[in-house]
Amino acid sequence: MLPVGGKGRRQNLRGLFLFPSLTAVLMVSAVVTISIGSADIPVSAVFGILKDCLFQGGRELEEGLWSMPHFQIVWNIRLPRVLFAALCGTGLAVCGSAMQSLVLNPIADPYILGISSGASAGAAWALLAPLPILPFAAGQYQTTVMAFLGALLSSYVVYFMAKMAGGGKLQPVTLLLSGTAVNAVMSAVTSFLIFLAKSPESIAAVYNWQMGSIASAQWKTLALPAVGTMGGTVIFTLCGKHFNMMMMGDEDAQALGLQVKVFRSAMFFLCSVVVASLVSVTGIIGFVGLVVPHVVRLLSGTSDNRLIIPLCALTGSIYLIWADAFARSAFGAAEIPLGIITAFVGAPFFLFLMIRKSTGENSL
Amino acid sequence: MKLSYEDIHVRLGGREIVKGISLTAREGKVTGILGPNGCGKSTLIKTTFDICHPYSGKILADGKDTAGMGAKRLASMIGYVGQDAGSMFDFSVADVVSMAMYARKDKSRPAKEVVHQALEELKMSHLAERSILSLSGGERKLVFIARAVALGADTLILDEPTNHLDIRHQLFLLDYLKQSGRTVLIVLHDLRLASHYCDWIYLLKDGRVEAEGTPLKALRSECVRQVFGICGNACRNQDGQMDFSLFSGKWGEE
Repeated sequence: MLPVGGKGRRQNLRGLFLFPSLTAVLMVSAVVTISIGSADIPVSAVFGILKDCLFQGGRELEEGLWSMPHFQIVWNIRLPRVLFAALCGTGLAVCGSAMQSLVLNPIADPYILGISSGASAGAAWALLAPLPILPFAAGQYQTTVMAFLGALLSSYVVYFMAKMAGGGKLQPVTLLLSGTAVNAVMSAVTSFLIFLAKSPESIAAVYNWQMGSIASAQWKTLALPAVGTMGGTVIFTLCGKHFNMMMMGDEDAQALGLQVKVFRSAMFFLCSVVVASLVSVTGIIGFVGLVVPHVVRLLSGTSDNRLIIPLCALTGSIYLIWADAFARSAFGAAEIPLGIITAFVGAPFFLFLMIRKSTGENSL
Repeated sequence: MKLSYEDIHVRLGGREIVKGISLTAREGKVTGILGPNGCGKSTLIKTTFDICHPYSGKILADGKDTAGMGAKRLASMIGYVGQDAGSMFDFSVADVVSMAMYARKDKSRPAKEVVHQALEELKMSHLAERSILSLSGGERKLVFIARAVALGADTLILDEPTNHLDIRHQLFLLDYLKQSGRTVLIVLHDLRLASHYCDWIYLLKDGRVEAEGTPLKALRSECVRQVFGICGNACRNQDGQMDFSLFSGKWGEE
């Protein structure tokens, strides 16, 4: 028996205290990381330019207070990039948290369950062999639509394969094996498309893009991912109590009044939308959805999704903003793909969770 | 509320687990479902919420078919606690019980009050702020029953609720259920507890109802031998209370 105490209330208070703290860290991180890169710009200049552009309509820039190259770098190159990193972090982390509740498995995330590689295969198809039958969707739109279809296909195949192999129940091992199998198939599809492709430029682009990078982020590519991610995050947050019920298991959730099958299908669909809107631009950035929800649960001391999902959004943003800052500055002008950094952090974390689980530490 | 199951069939993996069971949980009474392992008890009651397996037959709540009702409406009428209720995620006890507010019809009282009262009724209010993961199996079971109580439903379906409970808590829980005036459909393994607390008993074997009636009638020696393969019967003890006694040649061998 553990000592009796006000643990639950303390957890909720701790969770609530984290909101202003993480918001402040996010704001500061955004300004500081904009100053980091191959061209060093003082933090004060970044702050000044942002303040001027956001609140004074660029008056100080016209008066010549800020240099034009600095403005170009801050406003047109790094700010969209930082915003995009924040969106990616938000989207992948909230999807990770949602999926862990949906499949009642703490080691689920869009990458491990094959959704990211499904989206990646769909997007690669659109990049290497655009379909003329989708006239409404050209360029980024077709990439997003195809990524979405790939993500949706993967998520349902993984879910049903795991359920079939588990004799009607979702077992952690069968879920992971199904994810691994679908990952392998979808990666093979992408490789096959690259093999069939004729233009060396597009092959190189897809290779780069597969490693996950947000270097291509621009104002004009931000709209779709922003709508997908913010919409998804708001809906996930509003469904926090439904996710809590899902965490009690299908039987309990249904008996508590939740239409489990409908809710799970709808949320898988939404996860696919969010992941596709991001992956179609960034490529595969793995393990974010695995690492962030666990860190947030450890920080807040609760699993209550009404707190965890919005906290994941903030923490995921901070994580990817800094990971991207590291990616573009650690080796001078040469940029490391972001997916490599998140894999270096995430894979050992994944191993840690597996070891923790096998030694009987189930509190997640 | 009267809850009736009419000609329920359930197939699992090509095998028929429940073979046309009809039974009724009488209003305000404790109805027990008893039978050996694997006879279809849990599978039958899981059909109530359409959990896991497709079934054929009808389930009527006060004469109305539950098939067309949404999960939320059904949950507001029937509280259910399964055999292995639990979670590997960390929630406080109060948070777990407050999940009942989603389907609860009567919203006139604040959630905090409803949660507190449900925990109080099960004598668990001192654990309200504890993590569900830090509780013993028996304590968790009582928390999940408190959550079913917080739904405000007048019917409870409980699958082996006395599992993991010590004898004192088993008696406390069954006394509470008996005195609550609710319609209770309960799966039990302990024939003494069933004889003592159930108003009506259904004995199941191989997916069929083998016997039904008051404990004295359903748990008479020939039924008990046929269903469980042991010798014993329900009887009244010296105080006139219902009890169950095993005979000396308890395996029923000739």
